[in-house]
Amino acid sequence: MKAICILLLLPLLAWAEPAAVIRATELKKDPATDAPTVAELPESTSVDALERRGGWTRVRAAGAEGWVKMLALRYGTPGRQGESGLAQIFNVARTGSSGAQVTTGVRGLDAESIAGAQPNPAELQKMQAYAATPDAAAAFAAQAKLQAVAVEEPQ
Amino acid sequence: MIRAAVLAAALVALPAHAQFNFDLNRAIESVRKLGRATTEIDEKQEIEIGRDMAARLLGAAPLVNDARLQRYVNNVGRWLASQTERPGLPWRFGVLDAPQVNAFAVPGGTIFVTRGLVQRMRSEAELAGVLAHEIGHVLKKHHLKAIQKGAQAELAGEALSMAMRDSNSEARAKLVRFGSEIYSRGLDKSDELEADRLGVVIGSRGGYDAYGLPAVLQMLQAMNAQDSAVALMFKTHPAPAERLDALTEKMQPTLDAYAAQPSVVERFRQALQPK
Repeated sequence: MKAICILLLLPLLAWAEPAAVIRATELKKDPATDAPTVAELPESTSVDALERRGGWTRVRAAGAEGWVKMLALRYGTPGRQGESGLAQIFNVARTGSSGAQVTTGVRGLDAESIAGAQPNPAELQKMQAYAATPDAAAAFAAQAKLQAVAVEEPQ
Repeated sequence: MIRAAVLAAALVALPAHAQFNFDLNRAIESVRKLGRATTEIDEKQEIEIGRDMAARLLGAAPLVNDARLQRYVNNVGRWLASQTERPGLPWRFGVLDAPQVNAFAVPGGTIFVTRGLVQRMRSEAELAGVLAHEIGHVLKKHHLKAIQKGAQAELAGEALSMAMRDSNSEARAKLVRFGSEIYSRGLDKSDELEADRLGVVIGSRGGYDAYGLPAVLQMLQAMNAQDSAVALMFKTHPAPAERLDALTEKMQPTLDAYAAQPSVVERFRQALQPK
């Protein structure tokens, strides 16, 4: 169980994510369109993504650092072609010392487990108990200074 | 109108008096002969079918045993649901104890997100974006419509009517099974892209940084499609890059207008800390 947690946390610890800009993009000093331009990045320039703020991502590119429009980035997968480790864990867990398959409960949600699932009314009841009332949720939102705004659905 | 009246009368009569069975069958038969067997699912039935489907998903993976995390996700989700045109549904949110990266919408207002997905998020705005995407599926009844369509093909008018009426019937079990299969098969691509747009809209309405959902899609895009953690999610959704392109094309003004709203990073981190 511990091993799984550690494996799942790894991507969070990654500091720099390799990415590339999908179009010619200005590298900005600050996360704003009117900020000074540090460099012009041609299409497909490789960058390291460092952090996101709103619609901007801080990147390191060609020896410079600055902000690019977040949606101009696509993350590259070279070096990330492997497994996050789930399959290996399942294989070990399901084989066991006797060689017979054991149900471990960590298998989780794949097409097979959903197809073969039996209803679990006890968990359903538990979930009802965790429900939030509209008022409680509104107070919770206010704590984080979230304010409801009117936003139209695009046609 | 006459059809509705006959059916309504028969349905009301049924539970109390089994002898009306015959009348009900006759009523349904006559409706069927007219070729207008009703397949409309009303809100009460939507909620009932959804409960059955939710119970099945919980049979595949239970809730994460962390009351604080579950209440936290319910607060975020319920706040978002209050900003929609179906605020009165019995909205429920749950984190499933599964390492895979996925989220599910169940008709009637039940939303699941997996532990594997939540652990890869970095802020409450990202969680809100994903929950808002799933809320979008419920608002537009994407799964319900797929069930209706499939049920029409699989169950004859009489059996479908039975499935609606009797939660213990074999026909109902078949309907729920069919509904659950959608989670392995996926919805139409257009449904997913619509839910993405709604994910941005509803997240923004809740006061969150509008880029929450796109940030999650970028995280997914960086994962290997062959990774078993994302296999089912990738099989049942358009590729993340395509979803990001579609959002860029249709949602750029909305995204930019609400990009400066809070991301709520600290509270999210605290909620995810192990008990």
